[in-house]
Amino acid sequence: MAETSTRTEADDAGPEQPEARVGWRYTLTQVRRDPTALAGLVLIAFMTVVALIGFVDGVVFDFLSEYAVFADMGVRQYWLAETVWVNPATDPANARILRPPVGLTNPYYPNEPGTMAHPLGTDHRGRDILARLFYGTRIAITVGIVSTGIAMFLGTFVGAVAGYYGGWIDDALMRGSETLYAIPFLVLVIAFMTAFGRNLTYAMIGVGIATIPTFARLIRSRVLSVREEDYVEAARAAGVRDRNIIMRHVIPNSFAPVLVQATLQVGVNILIIAGLSFLGYGAQPPTPSWGQMLNNSRDYMLPNPWFSIWPGIAILITVVGFNLVGDGLRDALDPRINN
Amino acid sequence: MGRLRYTISRLLQAIPVILGVITITFLLTDAIPGDPVSIMLGPSPSAQQAAAIRAKFGLDQPLHIRYLNYLVDVIQLDLGTSLYYQVPVTEKIAERLPITLYLLLSSFTFALLTAVPLGIISAKRRNTATDHVSRVVALFGVSTPSFWIGLMLIIVFSYWLGYFPATNLILPWTSPSQIDGASTQVDVIVKSIHHLILPTITLGTLQMAAFTRIERSSMLEVLGEEYVKLARAYGVSERTILRKHAFRNAQLPLITLVGLQLTSALGGAVLTETVFSINGMGRLIITAIQNQDFQLVMGTTLVFGLVFVIGVIVTDLSYAYVDPRVSFEDSE
Repeated sequence: MAETSTRTEADDAGPEQPEARVGWRYTLTQVRRDPTALAGLVLIAFMTVVALIGFVDGVVFDFLSEYAVFADMGVRQYWLAETVWVNPATDPANARILRPPVGLTNPYYPNEPGTMAHPLGTDHRGRDILARLFYGTRIAITVGIVSTGIAMFLGTFVGAVAGYYGGWIDDALMRGSETLYAIPFLVLVIAFMTAFGRNLTYAMIGVGIATIPTFARLIRSRVLSVREEDYVEAARAAGVRDRNIIMRHVIPNSFAPVLVQATLQVGVNILIIAGLSFLGYGAQPPTPSWGQMLNNSRDYMLPNPWFSIWPGIAILITVVGFNLVGDGLRDALDPRINN
Repeated sequence: MGRLRYTISRLLQAIPVILGVITITFLLTDAIPGDPVSIMLGPSPSAQQAAAIRAKFGLDQPLHIRYLNYLVDVIQLDLGTSLYYQVPVTEKIAERLPITLYLLLSSFTFALLTAVPLGIISAKRRNTATDHVSRVVALFGVSTPSFWIGLMLIIVFSYWLGYFPATNLILPWTSPSQIDGASTQVDVIVKSIHHLILPTITLGTLQMAAFTRIERSSMLEVLGEEYVKLARAYGVSERTILRKHAFRNAQLPLITLVGLQLTSALGGAVLTETVFSINGMGRLIITAIQNQDFQLVMGTTLVFGLVFVIGVIVTDLSYAYVDPRVSFEDSE
């Protein structure tokens, strides 16, 4: 049994540093040769650029908005303001809310065709949808990566400790992680946020904690085989402390699958957090997030379906990007599937 | 180990998980700020009234006592009384759980019925146009927020085309007299399925995509096995190889995934029920959290945990039906 596990381990990552580095280079070459993974990288890069633009207040605004109308309002206010600046019921001629995208007309406000000033139209409060999408990208990418980072960090720790020590520690930690897994993510995170705070920070922490089991299990199974390796045995015999063995040998050699999982998990977490925001547990208005935009759009699906379409497409593109890269990495790291 | 003993040992293993679920939800609900009593009685209840309510629900006890009391109650199948609805939690769950299970069952059926053929065809015709299409469908399926699919389906099929209703799910066990235009139970069931189609696709797409991906990869793996090559060398037809040699062996990873997907499907049910205004467990739990209806939050979460644990055990047991070689040894 120990023999077989030794062999697979050597095939996968290579026990020593120089070999591991060759492994990384090999992986990168593989990924570069994989057109779908490249497409994923391009998508992620694109969304990251969009997210970065979202950080620069004003750039998007200058490009997208009608300055004359909003000159009296600050840039941020325009993006994020909650005020309805034209009431279509009292002032239908000037109604600008729910404007459709360029070139289209809105059956409910036929005087208002889409214009270049608002390429994707405006929402129920007259806010530019593209600008809000940009801003939402920044939120989605940040929370996706941060929550995955939390899950990866804690999950790796839990899994490594459980796998390395075994016995009752293993039992306790694994039952704990099964417990977390048994409660649906959404429910767990909503309860968590209600208890501690209904904002994005707690959404990230909550989703991070809720997805610990995914990483804990993965790393534990890897650790179980790495633990039997000769070099770990040797380190132990040489009197290296357990903590150092875990940190220096066990975790680095179990990391390849964790990286794959982390890439995929960013996508999953973006979906979870979009779901949370859709239910009202995420970025709080006026800060725009994609899920919250979709929630707002529910009341306007008939007058302006476009309002519901764009945020979904944004989520889709981002998550597809992470999934493609994750799949590409997995194929590159697992020659068995790749053949 | 026999099947019975295995089942029992799996059930015993589930006990710590269920205990954990109870503990986590108990502590979380306890940490929720705000006073349930003030929610029940309004903003400024009289001190006497408040004290009476507190005593009635045991809220005046310290945390550990309440926890132990709750555990004892749960063992006696008493989940307490909903503060908001003023009915026993079990009654509320009995009313809502069948609706969610109905939705889950139909979406898993949809997912399996589409994913298995799609995955097999994809693996069989690897790197052909068919394969690419099915892979793209699966990729988009796992990358699309389910509630957005629901919104799009409502826009297209309810608002524009008017084929399917977007709200007012009819349950198949409703009496025909309560439904317009239904004279027999069959009419009710037909109407119910008609209502259920959009929610099913909404909730089932993610599962469908996940199942397709695993079916394809595990089918590919099995088709590369020596015994399949041997069968091919002996001139066994591809059809027979697929049906007799490869199919069964490729299903084990899928079965595992079906069990594990339950938890994300339960979460997805919360969103699907919100989009289609279905009064199932998902919406119940959300309103319970919003109303700080502690007993109800704990009860519903516990039931979610139970559904998941039972689902995983059932999938574990179903291994044996698919693969007779599986013996129920404890493999750690």
